[in-house]
Amino acid sequence: MEVAVLFAVFIAGLFIGIPVTITLGLSSMAYLLFSDIPLVVMPQKIYAGIDVFVLLSIPGFILAGNLMNNGGITERIIRFANALVGWIRGGLGLTNIGASMLFGGITGTAVADAASIGGVMIPGMKKAGYPADFSAAVTAASSTVGPIIPPSVPMIIVGALSGISVGKMFLAGAVPGILMGVGMMVTCYVVSVRRNFPKQEWQGVGEIGRAFGGAFWALAMTGIILYGLLSGIATPTETAIVASVYAFIVGAFVYRELPLRLVPKIVTDSAVSAAAILALVGFANVFGWILVSERIPQAIADGVLSITDNPILVILMINILLLFIGMFMETIAALIILFVPLLSLATAVGVDPLHFATFAVLNLMIGLTTPPVGVCLFVCAGIAKLPLTPVVRAIFPFLLSNLIVLLMVSYIPALATWLPTQILP
Amino acid sequence: MLRRLNSFMTGLCRAGALTAFAVLIFAVLLQVVGRTIGTSPVWTEELTRFALIYLTAFGVGVALLTGDLVNVDAFCDALPGEWPRYLRMFASAATAVLCLALLPGAGKYVKIGMLQNSPAMAMPMEFIHFSVWLLLAMLAAFGILRFCLDWARIDYRRPMTGEEE
Repeated sequence: MEVAVLFAVFIAGLFIGIPVTITLGLSSMAYLLFSDIPLVVMPQKIYAGIDVFVLLSIPGFILAGNLMNNGGITERIIRFANALVGWIRGGLGLTNIGASMLFGGITGTAVADAASIGGVMIPGMKKAGYPADFSAAVTAASSTVGPIIPPSVPMIIVGALSGISVGKMFLAGAVPGILMGVGMMVTCYVVSVRRNFPKQEWQGVGEIGRAFGGAFWALAMTGIILYGLLSGIATPTETAIVASVYAFIVGAFVYRELPLRLVPKIVTDSAVSAAAILALVGFANVFGWILVSERIPQAIADGVLSITDNPILVILMINILLLFIGMFMETIAALIILFVPLLSLATAVGVDPLHFATFAVLNLMIGLTTPPVGVCLFVCAGIAKLPLTPVVRAIFPFLLSNLIVLLMVSYIPALATWLPTQILP
Repeated sequence: MLRRLNSFMTGLCRAGALTAFAVLIFAVLLQVVGRTIGTSPVWTEELTRFALIYLTAFGVGVALLTGDLVNVDAFCDALPGEWPRYLRMFASAATAVLCLALLPGAGKYVKIGMLQNSPAMAMPMEFIHFSVWLLLAMLAAFGILRFCLDWARIDYRRPMTGEEE
């Protein structure tokens, strides 16, 4: 009865648009009241959920990304990507994807990527003769690479939920992120050849060098983050804060495009974004504690295993569920609610937790570009001044490409686990 | 009146979140610099954790207004007429009710903290546990504020700060 109340309140709350954080709190409170458990448990669990060492790095990584985003990196990264791939047919589409991959290594957020790169690339592509729907679609699709390629807030959350080190999680996303990018580049090239999109003149190796020189200080941040985490000389929190200081110095004094008067606002906005994530984690800790006390993850695992214990089918079922949930729910919220129950199921059929964590994040990223709640889709359609439907149609080939990569990562564990086990055995 | 209250509450909480973030950055940098030149103070890691919880407490209410506290709006935003506004008001009321119901429990949790000091800084844990009470109080206050703003049909989705007013 108590569990039925928990889920009834939870589903009703989501359905009528109550924030996920509050829905988790309301359903947990209803459960506790029905179970006659004192409500003082909830503040304790909320505190314990937020007071987790790994989560300390979240505000720093968000701040580093926001500082870089406001510090003049967009044009420099686009110029570098354009020098590399702009001469191929559909070159501006490829530039868009390449820039997203590089951008993802710096800011790690899909929406920032869609807004920043889209703001420059979508008008540019339209001017060069690309259809507006294609321009918006390629920007939206490629922005999902951001949170796969390190650094990545969803990967930090998964690290906190599973106990896997942040360094390992970041490395696990590297190969799938590159695969996603390359897959979308191939798709873009095929579409461009079929629809005879334009290409640019080859600008020579000199331009690649000059563009790299311009983007170097921004690109170096990815190196600093990975070096800090993987060498063991700094904790994830220290790495994130040092990256923020670095982003501030590069934006304000090297590129000189970060207005100092904006810095307090950027820091505060980053704090508010981080607070929203941390509050979600705190309230989810109460919900998660109830699920574990009621042995719900075990019951889900047992229920599915009574139908099939074939790992191929179980992975497929997990992926379909995550894709469906990802269509309606924001990535981090979906991860926090579903990760632990599904991890029990995945490990029961022999899936490595690191492997599961990687394809779960990858899967939920795809949801950012699917209707009805694909945030990146809305951002890019807005920039292109288009209704949603033509962009949804144009994004289909890229969605297909991302789904193929998802299946590859789901069924070839080495794509996720090889790099972390080589570097951090 | 409501606009001014919104501006005041948002400005106050943004200032609190900024201060907590500044403390967090200071503590982490002190830790890094200290370790580089010798040994870092033992209390920096503890201060970082406390700053993070206060950052959450101050920032979460503003996040409710800015939409950073995400919801599943696929269904309710598709409803006709005034329904999305009514559902937002219901969500705000539910937020306030939840947090007000949890405040007495949070008060007890603060009292439990009176019996302990933090290991490194020897800070009374009641001050640290108070962050959860503050988080819930802020959410309740901003829930009520959002309800009133929707009631009065005032657009609050643009982040408001004191200086913008």
